[in-house]
Amino acid sequence: MPRVKRGPHTRRRHKRVLKQTKGFWGGRKNRFRQALRVLWKSWQYAYVGRKLRKRDFRRLWIVRINAACRENGTSYSRLMGSLHKAGIELDRKVLADMAVNDPTAFKALTELASAAG
Amino acid sequence: MRTFVAKPAEAQATRKWWVVDAKDKPLGRLASEVAKVLRGKHKPTFTPHVDTGDFVVVVNAGLVKVTGDKATDKKYYRHSGYPGGIRSQSFAELVAQKPAAPIQIAVKGMLPKNALGRKMIKKLKVYASAEHPHTAQSPEQLSF
Repeated sequence: MPRVKRGPHTRRRHKRVLKQTKGFWGGRKNRFRQALRVLWKSWQYAYVGRKLRKRDFRRLWIVRINAACRENGTSYSRLMGSLHKAGIELDRKVLADMAVNDPTAFKALTELASAAG
Repeated sequence: MRTFVAKPAEAQATRKWWVVDAKDKPLGRLASEVAKVLRGKHKPTFTPHVDTGDFVVVVNAGLVKVTGDKATDKKYYRHSGYPGGIRSQSFAELVAQKPAAPIQIAVKGMLPKNALGRKMIKKLKVYASAEHPHTAQSPEQLSF
């Protein structure tokens, strides 16, 4: 049975943590104890961030759709209401993309929507 | 599908100029519309971390209106930094001294308080009279 000392294992563990804290502020990037603490915290932030991302994007799409609506003489709220009435199930992501990349199609939608509503 | 993200260079290249007459318009309502255009929230390409807004020229800034008794009661404060160094001016006094100031202050307060907001305010041009030196940019009338 070979003799086992703790050095190599500790070094490997420290290296694994410090690799993930690159770019952190001050000693947090290269001091193990600080790094470990903020690494765990960073996972918490990342977890929250993944949930917030969905809400943030939905908010952005709504702002963009509203801007495009107002260019076409209607509002976000009116467009959405009439789209639901007309049974058009395009989501906000697609609508926002249309507003940027295909304004003519978006215009047709607003007309269709206002005719239905 | 990736959500569209405006590029600063492209956003800058497509900036338009708008002109708005402040005569007899309520200060806050005017400022809110102007701030929207400066931020770019009127465009489908709006991106929060990029300045997608347009230029706005405000003319007749000295003739902007406040409702109620705010001409005398609305105070503008500043502090010199010394003890007892607070100075105040009413809306009417400020307009008499610097006709463009109320609109500048009101719009600035409605923009983001960060580096991007400070960049946005630079696209606002306020003039006391009906003339402005930006005819070369052929600004369009901003209506709301």
